[in-house]
Amino acid sequence: MTNHWIDLKNSDCILIMGSNAAENHPISFKWVTKAQEKGATVIHVDPRFTRTSAKADMYAPIRSGADIAVLGGMIKYILDNDLIFKEYVLEYTNASFIVGDKYAFDNGIFSGYNRETRSYDLSQWAFAMDENGNPKKDPTLQDPRCVYQMLRKHYERYTLDNVEAISGMTRADIVKFYETYAATGKKDKAGTIMYAMGWTQHTVGVQNIRAMAIIQLLLGNIGIPGGGVNALRGEANVQGSTDHGLLYHILPGYLATPLAAHQSLAEYNKAFTPVSNDPMSANWWQNFPKYSASLLKSMWMDDDPAVSFNYLPKLDTAAASVYSWLNLFDKMDKGQFKGLFAWGMNPACSGANTHKTRQALTRLDWLVNVNIFPNETGSFWEGPGMDPSKIKTEVFFLPCSVSIEKEGSVSNSGRWMQWRYQGPDAPHGFKPDGDLMYELMHEIQALYKKEGGVYPEPILRFNLEGWATNGIFDPHKTAKLINGHFTRDVEIGGTVYKKGTQVPSFAMLQADGSTCSGNWLYCNSYTEQGNMAARRSLAQTPEQEKLGLFPNYTWCWPVNRRILYNRASVDPTGKPWNPELPLIQWDAITKKWVGDVPDGGWAPGERHPFIMTRFGFGQLYGPGRADGPLPEYYEPLECPVNSHPFSTTLHNPTAISYADEDKAVCDPRYPFVGTTYRVTEHWQTGLMTRNQEWLVEMEPQMFVEMSEELAALRGITNGEKVIVESVRGSVWAKAMVTKRFKPFDVQGTVIHQVGLPWHYGWTWPKDGGDSANILTPSVGDPNTGIPETKAFMVNVRKA
Amino acid sequence: MHTNRRNFLKLSATAAVATAFGGLGLGCTPKAEAVDRAAAMDPKWSKQTTSICCYCAVGCGLVVNTSLKTKRAVNVEGDPDHPINEGALCAKGASIWQLAENDRRPDSVLYRAPYANKFKKVSLAWALEKIAHNVKKARDENFTHLNSRGQAVNRCDTIASLGSAALDNEECWAYSTMLRSLGLVYVEHQARI
Amino acid sequence: MSKTFFIDLTKCTACRGCQVACKQWKKLPAEKTVNWGSRQNPKDLSGVTLKLVRFSEVETNGKLQWLFYPEQCRHCVEPPCIDAMTVPGSIVHDQETGAVIYTSLTAKEPNKESFAANCPYDIPRINKETGMVVKCDMCNDRVKMGMLPACVLTCPTGAMNFGEREDMLELAEKNLEAAQKRYPDAELVDEYTVRVIYLVQTSPTSYHEYLEADASSIQRGPLSRKQFLAKLASPLKRMNS
Repeated sequence: MTNHWIDLKNSDCILIMGSNAAENHPISFKWVTKAQEKGATVIHVDPRFTRTSAKADMYAPIRSGADIAVLGGMIKYILDNDLIFKEYVLEYTNASFIVGDKYAFDNGIFSGYNRETRSYDLSQWAFAMDENGNPKKDPTLQDPRCVYQMLRKHYERYTLDNVEAISGMTRADIVKFYETYAATGKKDKAGTIMYAMGWTQHTVGVQNIRAMAIIQLLLGNIGIPGGGVNALRGEANVQGSTDHGLLYHILPGYLATPLAAHQSLAEYNKAFTPVSNDPMSANWWQNFPKYSASLLKSMWMDDDPAVSFNYLPKLDTAAASVYSWLNLFDKMDKGQFKGLFAWGMNPACSGANTHKTRQALTRLDWLVNVNIFPNETGSFWEGPGMDPSKIKTEVFFLPCSVSIEKEGSVSNSGRWMQWRYQGPDAPHGFKPDGDLMYELMHEIQALYKKEGGVYPEPILRFNLEGWATNGIFDPHKTAKLINGHFTRDVEIGGTVYKKGTQVPSFAMLQADGSTCSGNWLYCNSYTEQGNMAARRSLAQTPEQEKLGLFPNYTWCWPVNRRILYNRASVDPTGKPWNPELPLIQWDAITKKWVGDVPDGGWAPGERHPFIMTRFGFGQLYGPGRADGPLPEYYEPLECPVNSHPFSTTLHNPTAISYADEDKAVCDPRYPFVGTTYRVTEHWQTGLMTRNQEWLVEMEPQMFVEMSEELAALRGITNGEKVIVESVRGSVWAKAMVTKRFKPFDVQGTVIHQVGLPWHYGWTWPKDGGDSANILTPSVGDPNTGIPETKAFMVNVRKA
Repeated sequence: MHTNRRNFLKLSATAAVATAFGGLGLGCTPKAEAVDRAAAMDPKWSKQTTSICCYCAVGCGLVVNTSLKTKRAVNVEGDPDHPINEGALCAKGASIWQLAENDRRPDSVLYRAPYANKFKKVSLAWALEKIAHNVKKARDENFTHLNSRGQAVNRCDTIASLGSAALDNEECWAYSTMLRSLGLVYVEHQARI
Repeated sequence: MSKTFFIDLTKCTACRGCQVACKQWKKLPAEKTVNWGSRQNPKDLSGVTLKLVRFSEVETNGKLQWLFYPEQCRHCVEPPCIDAMTVPGSIVHDQETGAVIYTSLTAKEPNKESFAANCPYDIPRINKETGMVVKCDMCNDRVKMGMLPACVLTCPTGAMNFGEREDMLELAEKNLEAAQKRYPDAELVDEYTVRVIYLVQTSPTSYHEYLEADASSIQRGPLSRKQFLAKLASPLKRMNS
């Protein structure tokens, strides 16, 4: 989230699209309801009428996967009717930038496409640069190569006729939706988006979000209260786990994982430290070398970062198609891995194409599964279709404490880092995950110390004791290390920071090893003032109270800034666009900002507001994505049509897929669109919630929701057991025949859609059913590798 | 669950009128027969700690009451002083007590030997030692010093890790850096799917 | 001190926090259920389910409404179930809070079915293991400690409210006025005769047969029901449609 949960109340129009917030983020509706009470309009766009739709002021059904058609149509609508927030667009976005000569777009394909590698040469999309090395601009927005004109041209195909034909949305709904949302493009109006996996789990997942980000920039909705681009996020600490780099492509603090090409720290820093020649651009990532050196220091305290850089493993490529989840399992299936840690995860139910995933697990020599309850991953060898006597995999199941039995912090979607205290003791002497990690790593270190081994330095010199006190994992000590301290006496701006002092904020981090910080974004979270995440003061200034900022309650990254890009909430002279809801204001007397922690303390107009981008502007045109600088409509890789109105390029030409795995495109065997989702009463694979009888009581079994029309077509009655099948497998489910699903009219054809929760698994409850991911395909977004589990093709029949 | 079903029922049958009720109503004084839940919240009997819900990422505050005697949770509900949820919890959040107090939690570390058809109980120390040996063997026998282009990559391509967004920040960071120190590059978790 | 719930169904999202919070506070066991083609589960109130969110889909003129109804005892101002009491003390009417409480003495009642038969909302159920007649007790233990009932504390959207009766009546009127802008058929249900006042967005029967006490609905306990409805028929009953 650029904003935070309470801030939803400040919105005038809340678009819920690609999520089902009332069911999956139920307490968000406290703040959605508050906004409604103050007159805000809530719009829900979703294939299915849900508990969210039931509370929305407007509900518009859409076929799964058609989002870019609808959003592209909104971009066209906003531009055609000149509904943009002009000053914001001109001053704060790259609308005026001139796109270089090599950029072209033809029939669904951008310039630079390589058919062999199914990838683009991104350099073709670069901006034209002036003699100072800055992007050329046309502030009149008339140049046909400027971003604004490029947008107009790109989306001229996204007519109401085309959008209506492919999305299944009615013309009336489309127009009403566009009118209502575009009305937030005024200085004193804020529109926000609440999205989740309904947008990300597509082969165009990133471009779904990009399309909305473009709309938010055109309407001046980013950086302001009640606005922003808000990913709801599905796990208590998925924000924190991502911040701390539990992904192949990033290290803690979103520092890119080094590539083989970076043979020294200097080369690595050079590759990821952007240069801007515009003095108005904060270009925040110019600080990259300070953050990388501080991270290395936190991991290997006794080494010079230039040396310990060699300890970091290097990737051959950053491409999601090589190292990300789907490919990890493809390689596991082909026998590459000896061992797997499934630590607090249940991939045997959560990954797409479950049969492939479960089969891949049989190729492992060993599997370590840390979890609260036995589950389909740790017990895969005795699952359906498995013969234990033929499976070599050694399995270790380590039970652990639950969250209320341990101490530490989690970061919510609004980036609030919140400290949790231990309540009960865990039963049977079970330990927190951190203790298990520490003890395991301690064991590994001891083994290398005793026996020696291959390239032992990174292990032996690793700062393991930096996490522990008296040989026990210490969350406070670890949190302090993540914040970081001075490793020697350092003088900054006349102040001397003694060795061992906690670094007050990331502005003080150094590139020479004189500071350590496990994650620069969290530098300021555990300072000499104490544990900021444990703060519980509700104190606020009257302005902060009006917004519900709560700056003294817990802590939020970065540096307790509650709304990102907040310099965009004021005009270039520092006056709030909406004086009724000021987020930050420049106090001319004290020469300071008041309100939220500003995106840098510079005076008004001294820096462009989008400080994390190289040039300082919001990126309407985004030349850094794998599949194009502007979102383009493509069908899901499994779809019910063989053409769409926008080009003859049916699918995302860069999507991740495996040629030897069949896909159902207009396949009469699988005529219905399928999608997966969650219910309030269960969580993710259901591992935690399926083992709680209060929750099982409410949602005991796998079900498939379908329209009354589809049920009639297949002779299915409500509540009966049916079979849902795809190219990859089949599951049984209880039929939930409902008025909440309706058939779609797509290009003149009736298209049915069904939906299934993915919470169930064969281990427990015994009559609960199995994972909906048995049906989903291993195809993914080219940027992130996220699988397309929200739109695929199935058949439904009586059991 | 530690308290069996019958005890639950006895508790619910009587506690409603236990302390809360002294000589009220239609001239009747029901007999207090069991432990009452409201009194169990008293600091004399339980400690109160705050936590954050372990499910979605709204980050709702919890108040956890733990019996001083059994060291087990007796009640978990929303934290009324938390500015995001103001005491509210959804079905999952409201059920967290049952996540902890749950008979389906195994009582031991479990080990499944190759080709075996069941788990057996083992000690944590035994398991960790064996895992450490497995890690070392898989790493040392297959360590990739140089890639196919001859560039130093110093990585372990034969062990993968998945997880976890369910861990605390401090654990995520510890795990992330520990895996990198071992040379792992196949590091993924829930955010990818 | 006289307490009342005000339940604004226009704000209920059916997150079912209340359904679980009730079981959590009272440590009530779960029932064995199956999916029967509805999100609603268990199907009905029972000896171990005192609060149940009911779901119903209503489509009129192509406009779909998904209605949610967290059902519980109304803690009637003049509780007709007391007429069914034959064992003194099996029902306690707490004069301080207004809570109507079934005690363990209900297990000794010779005709337990008469409790439900006397209830215009079909609430009381029999717990098979203890033999008691059971229902919501207003979390009277919590209320006496100054805490909100568990279901009210856990409600995110302001659907569930609890407090002094006058304050709740005032809030009900205020919310009714706001609700009628969006739902012209919105009304308050039986607000002068019960301590659990529902604000509905459409006809009460669209939610459930017994959301509103209705003479035509059932005839299981004619005498007491008639008495009760006689009270309801007073001019206080209000219809805002």
